[in-house]
Amino acid sequence: MGDGSASGNRSSSNKPEWLQQYDLIGKIGEGTYGLVFLARIKSQTNRGKSIAIKKFKQSKDGDGVSPTAIREIMLLREITHENVVKLVNVHINHTDMSLYLAFDYAEHDLYEIIRHHRDKVNHSINQYTVKSLLWQLLNGLNYLHSNWIIHRDLKPSNILVMGDGEEHGVVKIADFGLARIYQAPLKPLSENGVVVTIWYRAPELLLGAKHYTSAVDMWAVGCIFAELLTLKPLFQGAEVKATPNPFQLDQLDKIFKVLGHPTLDKWPSLANLPHWQQDVQHIQGHKYDNTSLSNVVHLSPKSPAFDLLSKMLEYDPRKRITAAQALEHEYFKMEPQPGRNALVPCQPGETFVNYPTRPVDTTTDFEGTTNLQPPQPVSSGAVSGNMPGGHMSSRSNPRPMNVVGMQRMPHQAMQAYNLASQAGMGPGMNPGGIPMQRGVPQAHQQQQLRRKDQMGMPGYPPQQKSRRL
Amino acid sequence: MADFMTSTHRAKWVFTPQQLVEKYRAANQRAREVLEKGGTTLMTIDADGSLKYPEPQINTKDNANKRSRAKPVSIEEERCIRLFLEDKIQEVCKNFHFPHKIQATALIYFKRFYLQWSIMEHDPKNILLTCIYAACKIEENHVSAEELGKGIQQDHQMILNNEMIIYQTLEFDLIVYAPYRSVEGFINDMEEFCNADDDLLQMLKTLQETARLEVDKMMLTDAPLLFPPGQLALAALYNSNALHKVLDFDGYLSNIFSRQSSMHTKSEFIESLNAIDSLIKNYRCPPRSETKPINKKLESCWGLSSHDEGKKREKKSKHKSKKSSNEAQNAPSLA
Repeated sequence: MGDGSASGNRSSSNKPEWLQQYDLIGKIGEGTYGLVFLARIKSQTNRGKSIAIKKFKQSKDGDGVSPTAIREIMLLREITHENVVKLVNVHINHTDMSLYLAFDYAEHDLYEIIRHHRDKVNHSINQYTVKSLLWQLLNGLNYLHSNWIIHRDLKPSNILVMGDGEEHGVVKIADFGLARIYQAPLKPLSENGVVVTIWYRAPELLLGAKHYTSAVDMWAVGCIFAELLTLKPLFQGAEVKATPNPFQLDQLDKIFKVLGHPTLDKWPSLANLPHWQQDVQHIQGHKYDNTSLSNVVHLSPKSPAFDLLSKMLEYDPRKRITAAQALEHEYFKMEPQPGRNALVPCQPGETFVNYPTRPVDTTTDFEGTTNLQPPQPVSSGAVSGNMPGGHMSSRSNPRPMNVVGMQRMPHQAMQAYNLASQAGMGPGMNPGGIPMQRGVPQAHQQQQLRRKDQMGMPGYPPQQKSRRL
Repeated sequence: MADFMTSTHRAKWVFTPQQLVEKYRAANQRAREVLEKGGTTLMTIDADGSLKYPEPQINTKDNANKRSRAKPVSIEEERCIRLFLEDKIQEVCKNFHFPHKIQATALIYFKRFYLQWSIMEHDPKNILLTCIYAACKIEENHVSAEELGKGIQQDHQMILNNEMIIYQTLEFDLIVYAPYRSVEGFINDMEEFCNADDDLLQMLKTLQETARLEVDKMMLTDAPLLFPPGQLALAALYNSNALHKVLDFDGYLSNIFSRQSSMHTKSEFIESLNAIDSLIKNYRCPPRSETKPINKKLESCWGLSSHDEGKKREKKSKHKSKKSSNEAQNAPSLA
């Protein structure tokens, strides 16, 4: 173990109470914010249900609870939509003030789906699937935007797709760590010291716009749409790291190459953007003449698909199509029409792609340290991780989540005690932590996820290093 | 702003007056019972993050005597301390030149926190600062705990220790709606309603300014826990208009309630208006002379006495972990 002294021994009784309701399967993702794990619920009510647990690192500067985590939680508390990921629980590790967010697990994401087609299947994603994925993505985004929330970090790996089960093939927008409620002044991403991939970044951001809008998300959707069609990132710029400003010349150059240079004529507010005047030679130089988006994405310029795409990739954010408008676009009205299960084509004769399950790194424990032991067989239900500082009393019987044992408290007093017990204050009270629904018992809302294949990772070797989510 | 209609604020944090009374009573009663059993009421954070009451120290006669003398703080006294400190929140935020929104958010956090806990259980002076700190974080006006602590000569570690307890107590419902924005919204609406020319626009500005001050007052009462922000804003504008006589408010109200197919009627709103008005009229910030004896009582509930605080604190922390002792570490200088 990486941290033997603090970790105690490996027996399950030494784990914090909240962790004991899960079987930890392994690590499925990693990002600047922390790590994501796959776990299964042990309790009777939802036994075997898969949960993704996102662990946030403690904020570096010793300045309290991670603002990213807090922001993600508080936004997700306010929103409920079929195409937005569902926060099921929040767990707190008090020893280091880190937060663990438990989500309904989604087996797939657009990054993996695209990669599978590009590297393994060698044919494009069928039209129905592309259209359904895009429609659901826009549907979720329209909900967010009408609630004044900008996601700000849309990219294929943040667009999840549910695996087998009642919600099979349903898109879930995830990762709200950078999301903001707008109308409050938004600081540029770079000022928050956040590094996000630049490939999906809107040109107004690249040119240093101080105030921006939901249109930045629509640009990203355009990039994702193109990538679903071609299986390649549309604007694959090389990122200049460690620059404090958002100016990324290579990224802009990649965009210009495909879309041509923006002009003041078509985008009047361009003149006000800070970086428009920077490196004028390259920005305003018009070195690309014969640009053609339709060639790059192999779409006829007259097709509705191309029309929609080009409206998403409109330079002027004010003219860029909105999510609500996009949902009404002709593209979605013609055959094949989009469906709820994006992964199963309705048309007979369409090729059916069996997408692989998510790669799981079973050698990493909850602290993110790599185990020296070989990966443990999953069926044993062994949890290959433990928590520092946990020294709860032994509890051999897993108890159902969110079953609040009211032993002493009258109902009115429960409110505070629920939370206190979440912190381990009293036995038998709300071991599942804070129920994330308002007044609706969770078990009634959750759909049981059936998973055929628990550990199979057909097609993929175990990843050495998980990609960033 | 996300939509208030679907918010946790509307779903979970707007109460009836009876509910408030019941919640304050329940929290007070819980602390009282701990005291009766000879314990101290100030919760400490254990190494594993559990919140607990310190174990009763029955080993010394001295302590036992003290405990028997510890009198619980009454519900009315709790209220007195809260009112006093809520006023301090506004003061501290003004001194830091924080925007209105932060002040309002901090106040709402503080109010919600003490719906769940008694002031005997968590030192309200610490919670006050932590609420301000949390409000800054949530409203994207990040101020480091150290900076905030320095500004008021407090140990910033105390802020960090209490931060998570606040989020938990608020059930992570951290997006709150203050009436200030609604005031702005109504003013914009009024501009249209009156077809305002330049003179009238100027008068509406004045109306808005006074309404903001009205909201400042409301924020110190129970009103934010009893009414949605839109109603508070409208009530503030109503009072402000009574002073400045800018527009025919009755006509404006009829106009709003006619176009809005809302569940509320004008007469219902007039009822709310009167209730809000009486909350403002009955508001009085308690003078220091009133809070002082209550603070003494509080200290005795926490097993502290004024002459040997330092010693007592050391005894209190049974657990040697860093975290456990921090809760009680701070000399209350805001008192």
